[in-house]
Amino acid sequence: MLYALLMLWHERARYAAGVLAVTFSAVLIALQVGLLLGLFKITSIPIDYTSADIWIGSTAVPSVDLGKPIPKNFVSRLAGLPGVSMPEMYIANFANFTKPTGGTELCFVLGSLLDPEAAGALTLLTPEQRDALTMPYAIIVDESDVKRLGLDTDRSQKPKINGKEVTVVGTVRGLKSLAAPWVFCSLYTARQLLGPLLPPDHVTYLLARCESPQRAREVVAYLRERYADDMTAYTAEEFSFGSRWYWLTRTKAGLAIGYAAFLGLIVGMVITAQTLYSATVANAREFAILLALGVPRWRLALLVVTQAFWIGVIGIALAYPVCLGLKYLALQFATDVDLRWQILAGTATLTIGMALLAGLFALRSVQQIEPMSLLR
Amino acid sequence: MDHEQGWPKVTATGIKQLSIKTTTLGMVSGMGNGTKTAVLRGVRLVKTYGDGDSRRVVLHECTLELYPGQVVLLMGPSGSGKSTLLAILSGLLEPDEGQVLVDDEGQLRDLWQMAPAERDRYRRRHTGFVFQGYNLLPALTARQQLEIVLHWCGDYRDSRRRVDELLERLGLQQLQGKKPAQLSGGEKQRIAIARALVKNPAFVFADEPTSALDWENGQRVMELLRLAAHERQAAVLVVSHDQRLLPYVDVHYHLEDGYLEERGLPA
Repeated sequence: MLYALLMLWHERARYAAGVLAVTFSAVLIALQVGLLLGLFKITSIPIDYTSADIWIGSTAVPSVDLGKPIPKNFVSRLAGLPGVSMPEMYIANFANFTKPTGGTELCFVLGSLLDPEAAGALTLLTPEQRDALTMPYAIIVDESDVKRLGLDTDRSQKPKINGKEVTVVGTVRGLKSLAAPWVFCSLYTARQLLGPLLPPDHVTYLLARCESPQRAREVVAYLRERYADDMTAYTAEEFSFGSRWYWLTRTKAGLAIGYAAFLGLIVGMVITAQTLYSATVANAREFAILLALGVPRWRLALLVVTQAFWIGVIGIALAYPVCLGLKYLALQFATDVDLRWQILAGTATLTIGMALLAGLFALRSVQQIEPMSLLR
Repeated sequence: MDHEQGWPKVTATGIKQLSIKTTTLGMVSGMGNGTKTAVLRGVRLVKTYGDGDSRRVVLHECTLELYPGQVVLLMGPSGSGKSTLLAILSGLLEPDEGQVLVDDEGQLRDLWQMAPAERDRYRRRHTGFVFQGYNLLPALTARQQLEIVLHWCGDYRDSRRRVDELLERLGLQQLQGKKPAQLSGGEKQRIAIARALVKNPAFVFADEPTSALDWENGQRVMELLRLAAHERQAAVLVVSHDQRLLPYVDVHYHLEDGYLEERGLPA
């Protein structure tokens, strides 16, 4: 380990190409995944902007917008569990939005309780907005969707959802939508707007708070084991990530990042392998005498692989600040790059793995070293 | 062959274990100086290069013995096969015919009948090399050049003390913190010799160790090799074409046209 580091440092100019290649690969992977996950945060807004710790939905629901109705009486499965608050009902479904100016748009209706302690209420709502939403058929939308929903011009006509007139009582900021604008309302309004789309005595989700994240995980594990046949339980964190991941892969965007990341890895690996190979060849005579003195060849192989490991580690160490800088830069353009620890850890694992593989490719240089070459 | 640690205590009659084993093969009496036992014997070694019309016999049934505590000089014109003979005796190049008999933990064995892994192990335990090019790792200090050999040969026992002792004995302590780029050619070669001796080997094979040096540094290198032989009881084989080395050696062989003969030394 020490000798590998000494040699790396001594020939740092030579190894710089390999280190930079690893850094490039790591930045590419982390930013690609982070950018897309940041973009796909949109798909998990209903989860991320509520305070529920546990989400219960239909069997194997992959994303928050794909929940099917479940019986209300599933509440009993959750009620009374230690460390869990009283479960709440939550309605989420697609609906048809008729613009006041004419034309229609698909929207996604989200109905929840509105009291200040409600787990399903949008955390961005002001107390005034909560009050306003208690009125029947009152809705709130994100300001970025105002134009899309035709709410910016003609106020004489009322918009409709599934043919029922609604009143826009306010807007929120920062809850952008991808395919269908979010429409926030009360549980009552949501049920009225969805009508026959939601069977009586059914809701889309049941939500609850827990005394701790650990307790939430325990409760979810218990519910999954006990009621796997007709419902699914998630922690909020799981459901949020699952929703993003579903759309990331469903839209083939995952393929795009996978391809770009793969290219980055290949470039990094080739350059690192070549760097290690040439560095080993450059020291071939010095290594040859060690072989002549009886040093086992595997020691040299281990040296090259150890150097590859350190190139990976140094490359990652350089990549992280670059990623954070680029994340900050992206924020200036209102673009979120999600660099959660899982992404950084995954990038590190992938990149160091790539560097080690490059080290293995470079081992052919060790095979070529022959002590006899010193006598020719 | 007690060369595992420290300064070996070798009696005037040579290495005990080998003398017992080699008696049956006739390596004691009538071979060499008669007071010591050969620790290595190359027997009727033949080596050819090329095929057909281009076939060239480099070594014609060459026989040579190495004794502990002796510096043997192998001379001859360029291309005469000196380095080839050194490579065969040291286990780096396989001969076409003949044997290289060595003592391997009390057993007399042909080096070239050993499995490659055994031969590597033998080299690891018993041989040191010095080449014309110093081949020091540029990233390491003089001390680390020695330590890496011990460590990578799996010998961590007292490595620091052993390196200290050797550097002190060879008068190289002041160079221990220097990297090759900070050393002169002579200093590099002396460190290379220390590297060859750090395992306390039974054999030291030196291929043209002085040819890249001026005469003053060449003399110092030869003094070190003599020290290795006379004080540490190593068998030292030096390959060179430099006549000026003759006063520093105990035995002189000459190799020409593939034929090896022992020659006298200047009075």
